[in-house]
Amino acid sequence: MKFKQLLYLFLFIVLPLISFGKDMPGDAAYAKGQYQEARDSYKKLINAGNASAALYFNMGNACFKTDDIPSAILYYEKARILSPGDEDINFNIRFANQKTTDRIEDAPEFFLFKWWRGFILSISLSALAILSIIAIALAGLTLVWYLFSQSENIKKATFYAAITLFLVGIVFIFMGNRQSAYFETHKQAIVFGSSVTVKSTPNDGGKTLFLIHAGTKVNVTGSSNNQIKISLGNGSTGWIAASEVKEI
Amino acid sequence: MGEQFEVSFTLNTNGDRFQPPALTGFQVYSGPNVSTSMQSINGSTSMSIAYSYVLAATKEGDAIIGAGTIYVNGKQYSTRPIRIKITKGSAAAARRQQQQQQQQNSQVSDAPMGDVSKSIFLRAVVDKKNAYQGEQMTVSYKLYTRVGILESQLDKLPDLNGFWSQDMNDPKQPQNVTWKSEIVNGMKFNVADVKQTIVFPQKSGDLTIDPLAMTFIIRQQAAPRDAMEQFFGGSFKDVKVKLKSPALTIRVRALPEAGKPAGFGGAVGNFNMQANVDRTALKSNESLNYNMKISGTGNIMLIDNPKPVFPADFEKYDPKVTDTINKSTGRINGSRFYNFLLIPRHEGNFTIEPFKFSYFNPETQRYVTLTGKEFPIAVAKGKTETNVSELSSADKQDVKLLDKDIRYIKTGNASYSKVGETFFGSLTYNLLLLLGPLLFVGAVIYRNWEAKYNADAVKVRSRKASKIAAKHLANAKQAMSANKSSSFYEALFKGLYGYLSDKLNIPYANLDKDVISDALRSKSASEATISKVEETLDLCDMARFAPVSGINEQDMFERGKNIINDIEDEI
Repeated sequence: MKFKQLLYLFLFIVLPLISFGKDMPGDAAYAKGQYQEARDSYKKLINAGNASAALYFNMGNACFKTDDIPSAILYYEKARILSPGDEDINFNIRFANQKTTDRIEDAPEFFLFKWWRGFILSISLSALAILSIIAIALAGLTLVWYLFSQSENIKKATFYAAITLFLVGIVFIFMGNRQSAYFETHKQAIVFGSSVTVKSTPNDGGKTLFLIHAGTKVNVTGSSNNQIKISLGNGSTGWIAASEVKEI
Repeated sequence: MGEQFEVSFTLNTNGDRFQPPALTGFQVYSGPNVSTSMQSINGSTSMSIAYSYVLAATKEGDAIIGAGTIYVNGKQYSTRPIRIKITKGSAAAARRQQQQQQQQNSQVSDAPMGDVSKSIFLRAVVDKKNAYQGEQMTVSYKLYTRVGILESQLDKLPDLNGFWSQDMNDPKQPQNVTWKSEIVNGMKFNVADVKQTIVFPQKSGDLTIDPLAMTFIIRQQAAPRDAMEQFFGGSFKDVKVKLKSPALTIRVRALPEAGKPAGFGGAVGNFNMQANVDRTALKSNESLNYNMKISGTGNIMLIDNPKPVFPADFEKYDPKVTDTINKSTGRINGSRFYNFLLIPRHEGNFTIEPFKFSYFNPETQRYVTLTGKEFPIAVAKGKTETNVSELSSADKQDVKLLDKDIRYIKTGNASYSKVGETFFGSLTYNLLLLLGPLLFVGAVIYRNWEAKYNADAVKVRSRKASKIAAKHLANAKQAMSANKSSSFYEALFKGLYGYLSDKLNIPYANLDKDVISDALRSKSASEATISKVEETLDLCDMARFAPVSGINEQDMFERGKNIINDIEDEI
């Protein structure tokens, strides 16, 4: 009886989070190739304060099809934050990046850092949240079972299962915690100005270090009155006007 | 200065080692030109040798041609230096002099008498001033003259920048063209087409048709020098005239964007299209010809190669293009023939989709799309495939990557959260996370409570019994509270029977008073209880059919309950 009630409880919480079936307004227009209309309806949804990986992904696709590559990359990156391990999103980011001017070779990274980042970004935050709740709840249920079961074997099995589930839940919580911290500290932005000069200082007097072009992703590492400090994947840093980029 | 002259050094015998003089201040045009002559008269031979130079002075003032020396039989002879005075002259004069020498005795003067521009001029004529980009236009350069032309020479052909041009005829000498007469400003002119070009504007905007420049030598009547001359028709003067046609500006409109069909290849004019295949049934690895003919008037040479959609599995080659262009009518018309060679590599039924050819018709100002036929192609299994005797993997091929595109949108996923709202770490999330541990804590508390509660065996038993009584007598209680006397007794009777049936494990149908008494006795229930059961059942049975006095329903219900409690206690 108790288990059944719990199951209902979970269904009521989990179902709204992963709901299927209904198409977004705009999907139909996209399917017909009316990309501008599709883009307008996605934009309306986003402006209304909605957010989901699928919505951002579809908006990125519509931008891409209307030849607005910087916007497309911006929305793909937004989608990636909500669902970092999604293969479709990562593929389209790579595809759209082929159309940008700047080719930036990422500086080599220590493999452990890479693995660690891959690990904490492998599951989306909302999925981690649900998984951790399920794991902890199951651990609790198994412990209850352990309490009320009479057989020695079942008691043993349920005890170790409960411990394992509890540890798994803790790992999920930890991953979620690290992932939100990662996106909190790694502020990124997409360049929208067609050609942006990167200066050595935040004021106009600085020397021009290099040029970046629309669609390039930069890491935002600091800011000072309308100027932001950026760094590229290859390690170069400099200052540009904050109006030239849009933060992801 | 600049004038040419000749210097020659002559010797009347044979000599050697001629040393030319220093010719500073002169430019040597040619030389030394050596000429020898030998004469033999009556046995005595005389000989002469001459070295000559053609010079031109380069500096003004006095110049000296130095002494030339030569050795005759070992003895040196030298000439006297010559002093030459060079005065300033005009380069043009020198050139004219040269020209005059070349032209020998012709009396051509650069300065025509009076204004000849009224009697001879060039004009560029266009058949339309406004055109669409890519529209066919004809530019004619016409010569209007009222004077006789002796000679003509093309100075500059127009560049026609921004146009694709096709000459209708080569620029002709005025002597070779057909002359027509035309009246301009009340005067009769002889008119000839010097050059006719078909042009196609290649960009929109104001385009300039360049002038054509020509030089003519015309014969002009000169004022008679005397009466005699006047009588014989006067004298003539040949005059050189340089003419240039005025530049023309043409307004070229871009093709309208509205309604431009997909795959528009820049065709402007009026066209027809035909497409056909030479066969519709063949075997794999055999070839197939897909022919397309576009004919009509317009920029047929400038059309982008059409790209019909062939099945992706067909091997296709670049088309062979054959043009048949006719420009004799003054407009370009003709046909372009495309021959695509296709080789189906695999058997199956394929379809060559209908090809759509679009052009812009400048007369109706509309885009027209012509659609060809659709061709079903049945490809049977060919020879080479059946002959493959190797491993079947040899037949396999990589999946061809024909094009690249982004992945399709995610559909059927219309659920959103609010921006900046994350479930992870929210209050709901933390509460749900506590659910498992709380469940466990609750279970522990419950277990402890239950252990304590069940410690007193007698209490537990009676609690249990009353629970069972309540279960079986629920209907009776309901009927009692509804004040339904007869149904109350029936429910009570049934409830007691049901309880006893469960308790004594006897099927309901087999139950009667004696069976119950025996069974209770065998289960060692007390005699008092048995008699109480019997009495109560009798009362119930009776009360079902007739009202019973001396006992009310409440007492009866309590009795039933007590029986159940007693039996529970005893058995």
